Amino acid sequence: MNEGTKQGQIHNSPPIMSRDIINLTDHEKFFMEKAFSFAKEALGNQEVPVGCIFVHKNEILAVGRNEVNETKSATRHAEMICIDQIVNYSKENSKNYMEIFREIDVFVTVEPCIMCAAALYNLKVRSVTFGCRNDRFGGSTVFDVAEILKPVTIVKGGYRSEEAMQLLKDFYKGQNPNAPESKVKKKKSDVDVKQDSL
Amino acid sequence: MSCAKKIKLDEKILPILADDLLEDTPLVEVFVDSIKDQKTISKVVKDLNASCPIPELTHLKRIKAKEILLLIKNNLEKQQVHEYLKSNGFNVSLLCNQIRIVSVAKIAPKTKTQHAKVNQLWPCNFHSDKYIEKLSTNTLFDHSEILEHQLYMKVAIEVARYSKQNKIAHFSKGVVIVDPKIKSIVALGYSVTHENPCKHAPMIAIDNVAKTQNGGAWNNYEQLTTTKLNLCGIHPKLYTLLQEKFPQITFGASRFKGKSIKEPSDGPYLCTGYCVYSTHEPCIMCAMALVHSRVKRVFYGVKTNNGGLGTLCKVHTVKDLNHHYEVFTKLCQDECESLKDV
Repeated sequence: MNEGTKQGQIHNSPPIMSRDIINLTDHEKFFMEKAFSFAKEALGNQEVPVGCIFVHKNEILAVGRNEVNETKSATRHAEMICIDQIVNYSKENSKNYMEIFREIDVFVTVEPCIMCAAALYNLKVRSVTFGCRNDRFGGSTVFDVAEILKPVTIVKGGYRSEEAMQLLKDFYKGQNPNAPESKVKKKKSDVDVKQDSL
Repeated sequence: MSCAKKIKLDEKILPILADDLLEDTPLVEVFVDSIKDQKTISKVVKDLNASCPIPELTHLKRIKAKEILLLIKNNLEKQQVHEYLKSNGFNVSLLCNQIRIVSVAKIAPKTKTQHAKVNQLWPCNFHSDKYIEKLSTNTLFDHSEILEHQLYMKVAIEVARYSKQNKIAHFSKGVVIVDPKIKSIVALGYSVTHENPCKHAPMIAIDNVAKTQNGGAWNNYEQLTTTKLNLCGIHPKLYTLLQEKFPQITFGASRFKGKSIKEPSDGPYLCTGYCVYSTHEPCIMCAMALVHSRVKRVFYGVKTNNGGLGTLCKVHTVKDLNHHYEVFTKLCQDECESLKDV
């Protein structure tokens, strides 16, 4: 469905459903595999399992996973952690980070949330490839950030989405240890897995 | 509240409300008919409710004087209406067969103003939500509360000035996060986007709140070891400066209690219950960061071109999100505006 997507067109394309499978090159599959490994690391550390890597000219320049519970900061999503690494990399190598970001391909296991989508679009990253949709905070599923910011970034999703979603389900089986007990226990079906503090 | 008084208040503070509180209630076309004999009104209503209930329009009364609301127009033609009622077992001989189409409220109105409009079209039930009413009429805060909000915004302005004048920041933008329960400033933030493009003032302030909970990711100052309240969210230099300028203000966060099974936490969690005072309207990234952080209210002075709380969009009113905060603008607007000249 997303094969024909061209720059700037993404926000006009119909929503990608979780069962959609997008075609990736072997390289891209390798990068997604890497992102998955960080999502699993997050799960092992009682964090919402989202993993992310930033690739620059086929070289991995940043790796990250959700660190919200560890840092007590709801902004420490995998993507934000990678952004910080690119900024540091640019400084250490006396490069202009805005130029680097423009050539960055982002691989992330879950659709970036509204905050991360806005950050990545503002940094003009070249592309974002994600696994499953984020039906709680998604920067296109819940609120279409692209429609407002008109980014140059190409976005495609749906690769190994069931696996990405399963990781989230595994996490929520154990419940977020840091979230306060909700006053009203909401009824949720097993299928309707929601993500907290992605 | 008189009109003049309200306009005066609007200049000091203005809530940014969800569109569905500001816009007129959406309408829907329905078929109505008249009842032949006034004496049969209650029978007609009872029979019609039994044979042709309208679950979508329970906010409407069925009767308006001698007129009765029959059904939503959908794909039916006027001529087909009585046939349809008959097939549902309703005795149409009680009606005049003068079918008309009228527009009525599609959903229950949310504010008194909305109710007044749609109630003229067709009688409409309305349960006023006192809190929403106060928000929509901008009467939530009294004079002393507004003074308190202005005081915290003045601190944010001071933070913005400090950061620019001391060449820490390229832009003078300031954020103050307050715990209203203990009336104390928990954390401060100013923009350091020259260092990192995501280090907007609100993002820094959120990270500084995390420091009061033994967290935080961006370590940029020596944290103060504390007395009664936790001062880890406040830059020591700013603390000294602000204490002098604002002797009436309390600084520091409630003590953070770590979570364990033995000792359930009743201490702070992220920014839950906190109020944010920002000299400038937060962008979409920061607005969503504040949603994730579960803040209670956001006050900002001036709008920004890339603002996500009123200018480009209203992130705080996105229906499908699991947390919503209230937003108020125009607080110390002129002073915030003049920060660009610092």
